[in-house]
Order: sequence, then structure tokens, then C-alpha cells
Amino acid sequence: MANKSDELKMYWNKINYAYPILNDTLFTDCSDAEYEEIQQIIVGLGVQIKIRDLILIHTEKYLRQHVAPSFWSKFLKTDEEVKGFQLFKSAVNDLYEAMSSFSPMITRLGILNNSCCDNKPIYGERDVMSGFKQLLRATLLSQLPLDFQVIINHFYKVSFNVFDNAEYDNSDMGEDVMCSGCWNEYSDCNCAYIVKVFHDTNRKLVELTLLERLTGQVLTNFIQQRIELHIQKLCTGTFDVSHIGFLENWLDTTVMSWLTRIYCAGASKPHKVDKDIQNAVSKFKQKLSYYLYHIYTKLRIDQLFNIIIVYPDSQPAVDDIKLCLDKTDLRATLCKKLQNALETRLLHPGVNTPDILTAYISAIRALRHLDPSGVILETVTKPVRNYLRNREDTVRSVVSSLTEEGAGSELAEELAKFAAETDEDLEKEEDWDNWVPDPKDADPKVNGNDRKANDIISMLVNVYGSKELFVNEYRTLLADRLLAQSVINTEKEIRYLELLKLRFGESQLHFCEVMLKDVSDSKRINSLIQQDKNFESLNNKFASNAMILSAQFWPPFKDESLELPEEIKQHFEAYTKSYEALKGNRTLSWKPHLGNVNIEIEIGDKKLDLTVSPFNATLIMHFQTKPEWTLEELHQIMKVPITILRRKITYWQSLGIISERSTDNFALVEGSDGNKSSCSTNQVQEMICEDEESESVMASAHDQREGELQVFWSYIVGMLTNLDSLPLERIHQMLKMFASQAPGTECSLQELRQFLDTKVRTHQLVLQAGMYKLPKT
Amino acid sequence: MAQNINPHYASSSNPAKQNEDTIKLKDNHAVSKRLQKELMELMRCADKGISAFPESENLFKWIGTINGPLDTVYAGHKYKLSLEFPNSYPYAPPVVKFLTPCFHPNVDTCGLICLDILKDKWTALYDVRTVLLSIQSLLAEPNTHSPLNQQASYLWPNQPAYKKYLDEFYSKHRD
Repeated sequence: MANKSDELKMYWNKINYAYPILNDTLFTDCSDAEYEEIQQIIVGLGVQIKIRDLILIHTEKYLRQHVAPSFWSKFLKTDEEVKGFQLFKSAVNDLYEAMSSFSPMITRLGILNNSCCDNKPIYGERDVMSGFKQLLRATLLSQLPLDFQVIINHFYKVSFNVFDNAEYDNSDMGEDVMCSGCWNEYSDCNCAYIVKVFHDTNRKLVELTLLERLTGQVLTNFIQQRIELHIQKLCTGTFDVSHIGFLENWLDTTVMSWLTRIYCAGASKPHKVDKDIQNAVSKFKQKLSYYLYHIYTKLRIDQLFNIIIVYPDSQPAVDDIKLCLDKTDLRATLCKKLQNALETRLLHPGVNTPDILTAYISAIRALRHLDPSGVILETVTKPVRNYLRNREDTVRSVVSSLTEEGAGSELAEELAKFAAETDEDLEKEEDWDNWVPDPKDADPKVNGNDRKANDIISMLVNVYGSKELFVNEYRTLLADRLLAQSVINTEKEIRYLELLKLRFGESQLHFCEVMLKDVSDSKRINSLIQQDKNFESLNNKFASNAMILSAQFWPPFKDESLELPEEIKQHFEAYTKSYEALKGNRTLSWKPHLGNVNIEIEIGDKKLDLTVSPFNATLIMHFQTKPEWTLEELHQIMKVPITILRRKITYWQSLGIISERSTDNFALVEGSDGNKSSCSTNQVQEMICEDEESESVMASAHDQREGELQVFWSYIVGMLTNLDSLPLERIHQMLKMFASQAPGTECSLQELRQFLDTKVRTHQLVLQAGMYKLPKT
Repeated sequence: MAQNINPHYASSSNPAKQNEDTIKLKDNHAVSKRLQKELMELMRCADKGISAFPESENLFKWIGTINGPLDTVYAGHKYKLSLEFPNSYPYAPPVVKFLTPCFHPNVDTCGLICLDILKDKWTALYDVRTVLLSIQSLLAEPNTHSPLNQQASYLWPNQPAYKKYLDEFYSKHRD
């Protein structure tokens, strides 16, 4: 018996000799020949499975207690990149060494396992080596410290710097004293060493199949960071170069080759045989290039407002975005961000309407290029259109820039271009071969063709939704221009009118045509009347020149009353008679407050030649008969409100011809005593006078709208007479129901509120506790 | 006679019920259109002393207002009326009632009015405006031969006494 147990003890010692792990050490001198024998013993005893499992348990324990902790103990949290680099390197080295010392034992275990014949997988793997690696990975990762990424990051950062540097900056090496790769001086540049260590470490990691597990996340983060940095460095501020090509190239050459080297332990190309690595690298590349596009597009989207502002110059940038939008999913972001940018930078009271229009026009151009279907444009510029609609001078600005000449009038060019293009458009529609469906965010209610067909001018006109308002404003502007000039250049106006007609149609602009014809007709009629004997005999005191306007076709004038002096009235009557004789059953109705008067004033030894408004002329003429007037008297004779008189008389005060003796009492300044007093006031008041003269004589679109709202007034009165008192919403609703056949009946709640409020202010309505009422009579 | 009756009402025994419904709907639309037009006309002309407007979204129920004609005992008074239009309008007259109590020989205590054009003399040529004008002139010239309000009818010949009673009645009952 004792023999037996001694024998067993000896066997056990031998097994321990072959597998020192059973005593928690790794070193043994056991040779292959010796193991042969031991293997025989084990098989002879028939305990191969038990022994194998025992060994595995011990290996597990050893890894858990010794290898993994010593590996992770190197992962200190450090801020120094170079130290991090070294730490990671030594950690990997140690681990690799530890694993190497396992390898003879693993070989033996392999033989042992083969003799087991139970086909039991070892840690999920078929062969012992990979099972062992699996075990190692599992053990390591189960003890993962929190900030293990720090030094891995350092490691890759240092090596990438070297690599990036080697690829790129070869040319300007001479200028720096520091090597931009390792931040050492050139004399002891570390780059070569770093590269060597780097490749070595990576090779070891690959061998341990730990590379992706350990460094994948860090590597991705790190590369993404680099990409972001690189893009920012490259693309800030410049819109006139396309960067996407450079970026793709950079990704391919620098980043991807670096990555390949990591995976292939230094070789710049993976072995053709090694499918796994090829796959891993190409997957990585896909991920990274998506990321590259994503970041780049995001950056461009942030700059999009600026890109749009300088549009024709920034076309390469727009091209880039266009390309990237297809590859990324950033359409919605683009719309939202651009909308925000427009709102914060453009749509506030501090921006002039012409500036908003300029921005809007370049937005139209840029976005149309970006997205030919026009959907982005439609979405993004919606707030701009809404905002422009609320600005009073929008139409005026658009119309004036349409008809402006010279630099900066893009619209005028656009108009002329349109005239040239009209014929080609028809052919384009036939192009069904190249039809593309609308993008998914398109509004299905709108016809895609309409969206595409809209050019810049119609986009602007559509701000208002109707051509009519637009044409009306043009008419007002034209009327102003025609009346303001004493010598009229109708040729130019006719040219623009023709251009506008091409766009808006004959019928819309018929009125304007009549207006222009009125001007030339007036000239003819004037000369005819001047030759009329009757007229000549009646009146030879002064020459007059009338502009005869067809009331039906001109926009409504602002109504101002003015009673002219008797002589002038007589002159006008004579003119009217002469006209009636000439034109059969037509007559003239004078607008005494419009026009210009050339007057010559002789006062004392002063002599003045002036061109003034009829109002001012009338005013001064009254002083001809009587040197001193009170405002009340002037009001009586001129039928003009006193407030206006007071304002207008400042003109003559500023010229030093009239002075205010006492409150509201004005007298002619005789001779020299006036000179002094006038000079001081002169400069101050000149400003005021000029302002007045440039006022438009036409009723503005706003005033006209007010007129349209008057249509509602009778309805509102009818409503309130019979239903006593109603809240605003009810009135609005009732108007919508019952007054919708009247013209100009689109009326928003807000507009109605404003209208009713003016009525409350003029005491035509009473507002009580949110209910509108008619005042008691 | 035939002209005053909606043909669809006369032939209500029509078996095709579905058909009738669509006709009625279409008809309703025509009536709405007519009333809408009348409203527009009324708003445009703005006759002094008469006015009317739909009470709510229902175009078939209006509220009217009549000022008492000048130089009569009713001068300075203001009367509210309700007008209800049947679906057969304008082939049938609207039902008109005083909402403000009115002391008048031809108006009963419920506000019902005895006026020939609202009954057998109605033709499709009348409209809201003419109805209101007729009622306004009825105030000035009552028909004392067929009174609904006997007291008013007896008092009418004595104008000063009538006016005294009327003013009291009006100030007691308005609103």
C-alpha cells in the first residue's frame, strides 16, 4: 500500500513538474522528452480529464490574481503624454512576456487535451491556445479600471502626431527647432523610436487579440477628435474652395494608412490572406468617412448663413454641402439651423428692408443651387417671407430695386434676364427622362413644378401672395416719379414697363401704360391750349403747364384741401374752358396741392428765384396783399388746418421772409432787419422743409388697405346695431361668414383688431370688457 | 297662387326620398345665397332707421332694428325684431316678430304683427329691406279696422294721450 501511495506521490510530483501552474509558478525545466513520459503516466492512470480541468482552474486563478492586476496596475492616470506612452508600452510588453512564458505549458496542455477525447470545448473554443486567449481577455476585461482609456489615448496621440507629421510637414521642417512629431528638439528627435515601439506594441496586441477590445473605442474617439480638429483647422472662414476632396484624400492617406499600420503591425498594406484585418479596416473606414462627412456638413451648416450672404463666391462650399447632404442625414438639421440663423441675424427691427431683401435673394440663389427641388428653400425662407409681409416698405423696396439702374440692382438684371429666357422655359418641361421625385420632406400640397419654376422675382412677389398689390405699389411709385420730375424721361420708364409687362402680363400693367401716355398727352394738350387765342387773351400774367391725368387710372391721391388765390383760380378756370373746348365732353378737376410753382420774390432790395410747392406759393401770395396775418385768418382763406399751416410756414421763416411777431401772428420781414434773425434759424429749419418736400403724394398701400377695410365697417355697424355687443372673435367670424363676397376681404384677426381700435379712438366704437359696442346716440 | 308656393313642398308625396333630400339641400343653398345677397345690399345701402343682421352663424335667423319714424308718436323709439326665414324663402314670407314689446294697434302682446304682406299679400319680390320699411311705415299708419290690440286702436285717434301712454309703455318695457 505504502508503495502505491509513494508511487502516486511520485506521479503527482512529476505532473507538478510538467505543470508548475499547479503550484502557482510558471517556470520549469521540463523538456518535451520528459513530458512524453509524464503524458504516458497520466494516460496510464486515466485521469487526463481531471488533470486538465485542474490545470485550467489553476490557470484561471493565476491570471486573475497575478497577470491581470499587474497589467492594470500600469494604467495610472497621468497627464503627461509621453509617460502615458511609456506606461502603456511596458504594460503591453509585460503582458506579452507573461503570456510567452505560459506558452510551453499551453503546448503541453494541448497534447493532454488531445488525449482527453471528450470533445469538451475549452472556454468556448476548440483548441487550447485560443481558449487560453479567450480566458485572458475575459479576465482582463473583468478587472477593467475606470480610466484605462487615458493612457491608451496618450499612446495613440503621441504616435499619431509622429505619423501625421511624417506624412505632411516634410517641407517646412527647417523652420522649427522642435520636431512637431514628438515635441523634442530635432537633435534628439524621438520619432523613429516612437514608431518602432508603436508598431511593436500593436503587433503584440494583435497577437494577443486584444487590439480591438482594448483600444477600439479609444481609437475611434481619438480619430474622430482628430477629424473634427482637422476640419476646423482647414475650413474656418473660407467658402471659396471645395474642401471635400482634400478631406477625403486626407482620410485615405493619413488616417487610413495609420490605421492599417496599427492593424497590420507596421505594414502599410494588410496581407492579402488576412481577411479579418481587411474587413476590420474597411469597416473602420466606412465609419470614419461617414463621420467625416457628418462633421464637415455640420460645420458648414453652422456657417451656412455666411455662406449664403456671399453666395456666388461661396459656390464651392454650397457644392460641398450638396454632396454631403446625400451622404448624411442632416437635411432637417440644416433647415432648422438655417432658419434659426436667419431669424436671429436677419429678422429683427435693426435690419434695413433692402438688406433683408438682398439676403433673401442670395438665399434663394444659394438654396436653389443646393436643392434644385426647392423644398429646403421653401421651408427655410418661410419665416423670412412672413416677416417681410409685415414690413411696410417691402413692396416699395422690391419695386424700386427692380427699376433701379446701375450697380447693386440685381433685380433689374434679373428682370432683363427673364425677358431673354422666356422662350427656353417651354422646352425644359418636356424633359421627362430626368424626372426626379420630390424629397420626402416636400409639402405634398404644392406642385413640384411650381416650386421649381419660381424664379427670384416671383418668389419676391409671392411674399405677398398676389401680383396685384405688387403692381399697385409699382403704380404708386411710378406716379410719384412722374409727378416729381419736371422733365420726364418717359423712355426709360417705358422700357421698364415693357419688361414688367413680360412678367406680370399686359392687363395688370395697363394702368401704368395709361399713366405714361397721360404724360406725353399732357405735353401735347398744353401746347395746344397755349396757342388757343381765347386762353391767351384771358390770361397773360404767367405761364402755366398742366399735367392732365386720367383719374380712373392713377392711384388715389392723398386728399389735401387748399384754396388757391382768386387770380390763380381764374387762370385755372380759363384753362379748363379751353380744355373743354378742345376735348369735347371732358373736363378738368384740379388738384391744387400738387405741382410746382416757380416764383420770383422781390422784397426790399432782395430778389429770390424759387421753385416751391403750390401750398407755399399760395401762402406767400397772401402776404402780397396784406403784410401781417394770423394763423386763424390764413386758415379761413386757405381752408387748410392750422397745424399744417404752422408746419408749412416754417419754410418761409427759414428763408427769412416771414417772421412770427407774436404767437400765431406772422408778418412779412421788410428790408434789412430780417437778415440777422433769419440766418440763425436758417440752418435748423432747412432740414424740416426738405423732409416735407420729399413726401409721397400718393396714398400708400397701407392707406389703400385702410380703405378696403372700410367695406367691413358697414357690416360691423349692422352687426352691432342689431346684436348690441360682440367680442372681437365673433366679429371676425361673422365677417368671414357674411362679408366674404365683398372685395379685399382677406382680413386677419390682428388687422381687424387694429382697425377696430382706430374706430374706438375716433369714438365710433366703444370697447367695454372685451366687447365692442356702438356708442349711444 | 302657384308662384307663392315652393314647388318642392307642394309635391312632398314624391316617393324618391333621397332625390328630395338633395333637392332640398340644393335649395337651401339657393336660399342662403339669396339671403347673403340681401345682407350685402342692406349693408351697402344703409337706409336710415332700419337695419338687420344674422343673429349667429345661422343665416336663417336675423335680428332687425327699426327706429320709430320721425314726426310720429314713435319718434325716438327703437324696436328690435326677429326675422326667421323658412326653407322655402322667398316663396314663403319670413316670420317677423317684435322682440321689444310694442304698443301698437296691429301688434299683439306677444309681438306678432298683423301685416298683409307678411301673410297673403307676400310675393317673392319682397325682401328684408322692404319688409322692415313696411313695418316702419305701419308704425306711423296703423290699420285700425282690424286691430290686434283693441286698447291701442281706441286710443289712436287721440294722439297726445296715445303718445303719453306709449312713452310710458316704451320706457317701462325696453330692455
